[in-house]
Amino acid sequence: MQFRNLTDALDAAPASRPFITVWIDEDERETLTFADFRSRARKQAGALRDHGVTFGDRVVIIMPQGIPAMATFVGAMMLGAVPTFLAYPNFKIEPSKYSSGLAGVTANLKAKAVLIDAEFPDDMLDHVSLNKGSTLLRMAGGGEAHTEPDLALPEIQAESLAFIQHSAGTTGLQKGVALTHSAVLRQLSHLQRALRIDGASDRIYSWLPLYHDMGLIACFMLPMVCHVPIVMQSPLDWVMHPETMLQIISEHKCTLAWLPNFAFQFMPRRTPQNRWAQYDLSSLRALINCSEPVRASSMLEFQKAFAIESQVLQSCYAMAENVFAVTQSELNHPPVRVWAEGQAFRSAHRVVPVADGTSGAIAFTSSGRLLPNHELRIVSDSGAVLDDADVGEIQVKTDCMFKGYFNRPDLTAQAIVDGWYHTGDLGFFREGELYVVGRKKDLLIIGGENIYPQDIEEIVASHPAIHDGRVIAMGVYNPDLGTEDIVVVAEVEAAELLADMAKIESEIRSQVVAGMGVAIRTIILKPPKWIVKSTAGKAARSATREKLLQEHPELDVEL
Amino acid sequence: MTDETQQMIEHITQLIRKPGMTLDQNTPLVSSGLIDSMALVDLLLKLEDLTHLRIPAGKVQPKDLDTVAKMFVTAQRVGKPRK
Repeated sequence: MQFRNLTDALDAAPASRPFITVWIDEDERETLTFADFRSRARKQAGALRDHGVTFGDRVVIIMPQGIPAMATFVGAMMLGAVPTFLAYPNFKIEPSKYSSGLAGVTANLKAKAVLIDAEFPDDMLDHVSLNKGSTLLRMAGGGEAHTEPDLALPEIQAESLAFIQHSAGTTGLQKGVALTHSAVLRQLSHLQRALRIDGASDRIYSWLPLYHDMGLIACFMLPMVCHVPIVMQSPLDWVMHPETMLQIISEHKCTLAWLPNFAFQFMPRRTPQNRWAQYDLSSLRALINCSEPVRASSMLEFQKAFAIESQVLQSCYAMAENVFAVTQSELNHPPVRVWAEGQAFRSAHRVVPVADGTSGAIAFTSSGRLLPNHELRIVSDSGAVLDDADVGEIQVKTDCMFKGYFNRPDLTAQAIVDGWYHTGDLGFFREGELYVVGRKKDLLIIGGENIYPQDIEEIVASHPAIHDGRVIAMGVYNPDLGTEDIVVVAEVEAAELLADMAKIESEIRSQVVAGMGVAIRTIILKPPKWIVKSTAGKAARSATREKLLQEHPELDVEL
Repeated sequence: MTDETQQMIEHITQLIRKPGMTLDQNTPLVSSGLIDSMALVDLLLKLEDLTHLRIPAGKVQPKDLDTVAKMFVTAQRVGKPRK
């Protein structure tokens, strides 16, 4: 793969090969060849240029998942502008999340334009608060009859910024991960080799959102650069009717797909058992579990339901800051597992391997081996590099690292120290296999979406009955959903307030849903001085979690 | 109130499992935090069943599902006949 930039890679694609098939419903789908898509992207580039978008300008795209959004993204790149996708409003996202999220992002990016589609709901426009100097543009789809514009496109160098990925889905703390063309191309070249991708025989299936690295890199940039056809549906259509994924893979004989962990059990549980055998998934050669900690039980549930070979199930450890993947499991082999003694793991964070299935042991599933030109080390809290039996922070040094968080040198300097990116994830690295066990940063991952507990805690603490600063939000694994649920513990200002528990709880629930668009599973109100404090007088997160789970064992069903 | 509206109210009452809580077709559900996003998916599916329509999820916003009454109005507005 020898391209100078991403749009050159698109130019080199076989013109008549199908590129994107959008599955709309049972009787409606739209397919574009690489030549069709290139033409759409050029039209969008022309429209953006006419609106004054030029080299280096940041543009924020808030359009429904589909061809117009994708063509606009590539059209912006053709001009040398730097696009980024944000989530389109939908029934699962609260309007208020838009007002603060968007304002922060457009201000930080100093975006030239925010691009929305013709059907963007009018009442949501009030929530699109723009930075001074940004304009709001309603884009047509690029599928109109008029001819391609006469474009004099700029030279785009390999080291120019290609686009920005947003690593967190939540308010206030948005970090724009700025990536160059060369970093993206190097990552794609490693992936192509690791997954032995062949544009002539592979076909990717995806429902993944384009504002997430798995959707943007694995299911848009990878197929565009490696010239692989892709069949996609919208995340909402998949959530509503997950069985359509099986139908699409069967019908289109897809060979590759990426899914977050929760999807591996959501699929069998949402598909009536009498229809499991209807679908032929034998075309799949890799179904890759990525973006949440990998759990063997979830993968096994999928494998049993749909009778696929165990080596088709793969795993991967990825992050927007490295474009995408750091590790990938070995093709044609099921991911490696190790059983570790439970007590040593919990108390000393050490991995003492025991025989498979030993009582009290914990099974970990590997996220795979390092991609070429990737280095990894496991580091203790004090900065010591640990050996292969210890759990610590995963740090990586690679040849496809991000340039930095856009406009945030402060955050970049915290994240990359001496060339090592501090992932904030905890894991161990044994016999060349990486096992991810949790997060050092207190991030919650709810259904594949990153949520900062601080955002939830701030809202809960704003309730007049709650003692400010005495709130802890945490993720507790829910095996029924295969993802984490939010549990909040909070101290009331005075013990008498506990008599009003139901009312306070319901008010907090409404406020959190309104502010974050996520619902809390359990709120536990406690009398003053219940939460464990650190020496600095702050609420101590992990100690409070342990105390809570001891008092409320019904919450902890993980092990 | 139609049979379908009544069935939807009963469905939601079971879903939220709050003893003593009474719902009617104008009780706010989303804005009050009574139901979460996973539950909304379930409600849209129930709405498809009750109305015999296919509802393109991309055309639905939270406010369209905030009460049972609004859900049925939304279904009529965006729903497509099922085959």
